[in-house]
Amino acid sequence: MHIKEIKAVNFRNYSKLELSFSKDYNIIYGKNAQGKTNIIEALFLCSSGRSHRTKRDEELLKFDEENYYIKLVVDRRDMEKTIEIFYRLGERKRIKINDVYIKKNGELMGQLNTVLFSPEHMSIIKEGPSERRRFVDIAISQVKPAYFYDLQEYSRVLSQRNHLLKELKRENGGKKMKLKDTLEIWNEKLAETGSRIMYERHQYIKRLNLIAKENHKKLTGGREEIEIMYVPSFYQAGLPSVENIKVNFLKSVERDEEKELSAGVTLYGPQRDDIKIKVNNKNVRIYGSQGQQRTSVLTLKLSEINILRELAGENPVLLLDDVFSELDSVRQEYIIECIKDVQTFITSTDRSIYERISKNNANIYYVENGRVIREEDDE
Amino acid sequence: MSYFVTPIAKLIEEFEKLPGIGPKSAQRLAFYVVNLPPEKALKLANAIKEAKEKVKYCSVCGNLTDKDPCMVCNSENRDRSVICVVENPRDIVAMEKTREFKGLYHVLHGAISPMEGIGPEDIKIKELLSRLQPGEVKEIIIATNPNIEGEATAMYIAKLLKPLGIKTTRIAHGIPVGGDLEYADEVTLAKALQGRREI
Repeated sequence: MHIKEIKAVNFRNYSKLELSFSKDYNIIYGKNAQGKTNIIEALFLCSSGRSHRTKRDEELLKFDEENYYIKLVVDRRDMEKTIEIFYRLGERKRIKINDVYIKKNGELMGQLNTVLFSPEHMSIIKEGPSERRRFVDIAISQVKPAYFYDLQEYSRVLSQRNHLLKELKRENGGKKMKLKDTLEIWNEKLAETGSRIMYERHQYIKRLNLIAKENHKKLTGGREEIEIMYVPSFYQAGLPSVENIKVNFLKSVERDEEKELSAGVTLYGPQRDDIKIKVNNKNVRIYGSQGQQRTSVLTLKLSEINILRELAGENPVLLLDDVFSELDSVRQEYIIECIKDVQTFITSTDRSIYERISKNNANIYYVENGRVIREEDDE
Repeated sequence: MSYFVTPIAKLIEEFEKLPGIGPKSAQRLAFYVVNLPPEKALKLANAIKEAKEKVKYCSVCGNLTDKDPCMVCNSENRDRSVICVVENPRDIVAMEKTREFKGLYHVLHGAISPMEGIGPEDIKIKELLSRLQPGEVKEIIIATNPNIEGEATAMYIAKLLKPLGIKTTRIAHGIPVGGDLEYADEVTLAKALQGRREI
């Protein structure tokens, strides 16, 4: 799939932005703080329903404005889709797909699949497990909307159960002992939704591991081997199946009921999962060099494209925000090789990138202070 | 500073407390009431007063009623072997509109939700159990809402009823009648698949 055009009004530093894109390369260059990333942000927002830089919609408004509007026209194999986002200060943003308001944000998932790679993604390797879970969650949600709904349901069940555990801890066997009878029900609900989430993560990471090995080998000229492992929060006997995970999940919470009651919080489940990434048999988070860490993230992102293509039957759109020019020529060439048929947006402070990619079908945009000028080919 | 004289401001404030009424609607309603002829305004006030004085909860099923026990509980024509358990009295109205259900009701007045501090003892589960005279009730239909709290409540009640040997059923959820399959969301469709039956 590819994005044909964008219209944005009062979004970040743009009063009005109207561009049409190449279905191959789109290079957006300009000095720092001129609004390059804001274009990437608008595209990602229409893909996932949220910005990658902030949770607060009001931050996306142009200074002193009260509404923003974004419209994308996306060409997909099956049909053309128009995605529109309306936001008014103090209200929830509303989303239209092909002129119809959607009822749940989950309906946006899978309409426009994107893979975003920006400098902040180094946190997938460098930070704690929540960043790695987020990476996997976004990747799976794009192809499996049911997974997105399961995540929402799970977080609600988890919060209910945590409240109950806290209450039980406070009461400590006091007058409200009937409350304890309800724990079993929340266990059941937790394990039911949680096991579906964990199963999908199992499957995804298994596939990711295989594809990443291939990519990483090529990116490093065979010098490095990557391994990606799912580390669930409890021991899982038997083959990973939804049923099996659920049984093990319930076993764990039943066995450690006392522990959870004294902690007043849920100790097992997807919210405690981690994903371990090893390069040459060493945990790259702890022992990897800066360069190894960067290459690992690149491997993850390229593999995300491969899997999205596999599962959705169509190429996603690649958004490279300020990362391309940081890479050495070997890696740049490999990326270009990988993304032959993928619509790609590249932001950079450096126009010379253009020389390094295939000159066919590349649009070049110069950004200065909230204004975008498309350079016409003179060739 | 206030734009309204105190009595109107007060009225707006009261309207705003009502569900579904925002500041603008509250203002409109208040001005409407102020402009009513005195006898009509009084009629409205009396209607509120009377409803509040006369309507109470049925001591058997927990429905809203002006007679105790309520119309349904008192009726000769209802099937006393089936009880439909719902979260609130509004759900009874919805069920009655179907004219499909001829049994009795039981209103829980809420659902289990630890986040809001609502446990099994805070809703009318004890009252439900005390209604289950041996031999008389043969089936309990649990019609709590199909959300997380409603499901949890249903599971809890089912667990309590199991040792009593009373048939316990849960209403089905799935595709709305007259709707198109392609417009159903994934979760609903998945539930409908799980709950399929032979024809």
